[in-house]
Amino acid sequence: MTMNDAFDERLRAAFAAAQPGEDEADAFVKKVKARMSHPVRRRAIILGGAGSTGSAIAGTQLEGLFNTFQIPAEGWTAQLAAIASPEVMATTVLALMIGGFAFILPKRI
Amino acid sequence: MKASDEELVALVVATRDNDAFGELVRRHQGLIRGMMARMSRNRALAEDLAQDAFIRAFEKIGSFTGAGSFKSWLCRIAYNEFLMAARKRKATDRAMDRFKGDVDDTEAPRDMGSVVDLDRALATLKEDERTVIVLCFSCGMSHSEAAETTGMPLGTVKSHVNRGREKLKAFFETAEAVA
Repeated sequence: MTMNDAFDERLRAAFAAAQPGEDEADAFVKKVKARMSHPVRRRAIILGGAGSTGSAIAGTQLEGLFNTFQIPAEGWTAQLAAIASPEVMATTVLALMIGGFAFILPKRI
Repeated sequence: MKASDEELVALVVATRDNDAFGELVRRHQGLIRGMMARMSRNRALAEDLAQDAFIRAFEKIGSFTGAGSFKSWLCRIAYNEFLMAARKRKATDRAMDRFKGDVDDTEAPRDMGSVVDLDRALATLKEDERTVIVLCFSCGMSHSEAAETTGMPLGTVKSHVNRGREKLKAFFETAEAVA
């Protein structure tokens, strides 16, 4: 072992000795884990809130949008049109949007 | 049998398992907290930066390719966190000057292993010298890894390490001669 190698080893040992002790590890791990869970919760609330607000606003506009369409229909399409009133279509689209959020949100966080 | 770092990382990536990441934090917290304390020379700031580094590592864990060790990857993230924190204080130099005044001098100097003595010795180095010395001797990075982490040319890293080591050696030799 050369003089430099010996000094390098002493230096590495000095850095290792200067590291915080294991006795503080538990408290530190707890703090990090607490911070890890908070952003996820916050993100879920922000994304969920934004998504719900967007869906609600879009939902209120959809009925009017579907009212403007006048599709000439006969036969089974006429029957379908009778069932699928603008309210039903708006509700369906809203349900799809909310379902999409419910599906995507857990994957993103 | 104890899971390796890489196995724990795979578990975290696959399931976002907080407990698995907690185990990684437990294993490496001493290294990262020590590294931040040596670099920032401010214990409270170092604790915050170490926490930030682990949070960032958790967020970016999918980018760990396993090409190098997890320890080196983590040290790289920690170094970037340190740099960002320093930049936030407008300029690294000004921040470092401010940190210089915060060295805890209450502990009596003992030997080279003493935290205070090590911090005093590191205070004699230029910022770049201190950075590469900490990365190489505290994190166990090779010169190439330190060059990649800091963005310095390999030759510059080598000369910083050599110069820094000579200064530290002179500091401890003087301290031991006086004692």
